[in-house]
Amino acid sequence: MTVGMSFNQLSEDEKMTHFLDRINAGEKIEPDDWMPEDYRLQLIRLISMHGISEIMGALPEKEWVPKAPSLHRKLAIMAKVQDEMGHGQLLLRVAEDLMAPLGKNRHDIMEDLFSGKLKFHNVFHMDAPTWGDAGIIAWLVDGAAIISQSMMLDSSYGPYARALKRICAEEVFHAQHGESIILAMAEGTPEQREMLQDSLNRWWESLIMFFGPKSAKETGNSNADKNIMYKIRTKTNEDLRQEFFTKYIPRIWSLGLTIPDDTIRFDEDSQMWIYKDADWSKFKQIVSGNGPQSQNRLDLRRRSYKNNEWVRAALAAKKAI
Amino acid sequence: MNESTNEFYNVYEVFSKKTDKSPFQHSFSLLAPNADMALIMAKENFFRRETVADIWVVKRENIRGLNQDEREMLKRLDKQYRETKGYGYLKKKWRDYNQEQFTEQHILGGRGDNS
Repeated sequence: MTVGMSFNQLSEDEKMTHFLDRINAGEKIEPDDWMPEDYRLQLIRLISMHGISEIMGALPEKEWVPKAPSLHRKLAIMAKVQDEMGHGQLLLRVAEDLMAPLGKNRHDIMEDLFSGKLKFHNVFHMDAPTWGDAGIIAWLVDGAAIISQSMMLDSSYGPYARALKRICAEEVFHAQHGESIILAMAEGTPEQREMLQDSLNRWWESLIMFFGPKSAKETGNSNADKNIMYKIRTKTNEDLRQEFFTKYIPRIWSLGLTIPDDTIRFDEDSQMWIYKDADWSKFKQIVSGNGPQSQNRLDLRRRSYKNNEWVRAALAAKKAI
Repeated sequence: MNESTNEFYNVYEVFSKKTDKSPFQHSFSLLAPNADMALIMAKENFFRRETVADIWVVKRENIRGLNQDEREMLKRLDKQYRETKGYGYLKKKWRDYNQEQFTEQHILGGRGDNS
């Protein structure tokens, strides 16, 4: 930018160049900075989906709070559920500031969730019928989430990077909480080991799906590519999935568990894991609200939003100070 | 969206200090209907584990921050004449007189804790 010239005097094209120079130099974009419209829309799409997934993600685990096998486990899983809600609060705040110029707020986010317009992560549409599921969710679903979240710690959008920094600090506890549950089961009775293996079988395809399809080919969707250009993220879906395999498959095998995919192996030549891909049409069905628990969990969320309406109304009546 | 949800959702900025000796730092923001609720939410949202010595909540609309135009101005200011960085050449000068340049601690009368 020319010295002595005010930013406001720049043309739209010059602002765009200035914006790209800033993100390429590793500078962080703040909510009231100038940004191209599709950068804003990409961020809203990504962060509102991430935020609402944290909130919906607390639901399968919350089911296990009353049924946890010991007081220690009950306290730990309660803390985790509370953290997930907290993460949702942080992320929704980031999304809301981006939406404010479009005249939208949290109420609209909730309405979009209820109407099915706003999607949440495939994993949170699934059943969690046993304590083994609570363990696999905390160990592997959170493990997958840590991989994609820590990639974005250096995101070009400042508030998102700061929210993720807070979130990742707590994810370390979640990962260890998960390891503690699955190791206890892996070292337990044959029934407990079997329960753990069942959970792994149940969750494996969801874990493959977690990172999204390989490329634009499968969905005609190039959001990931756009987000890389804008330095919102740095790796592709497949990069992340491969990272997940490298990190967790040796551990899964070390416990004597079996991955429900007899084709899975590390290919030395390509330095890549070869695996059976997920059924992406099923993925589309699930995230469109047709997963086994999609409607139950949405109903739970709708009910609590409606039941608490009087609280919002009562507090709003007292003028904010 | 109706009036009441608008009134319910106010943005508060949260500041906190970790210990009584540390300065206040921006923690994050949250939505609350009033300052008392904002404090409760701040404690629940941001300090479930972290230690904290004090918390402030400030309604965002009461903060006058810089806009982008004003922030860009900050970048262009050259203040080397105000900073030790602008006087780095002194080290070599003193060496010509067989003298070491005073460090910040020497200048401040040896109140630093080392040497």
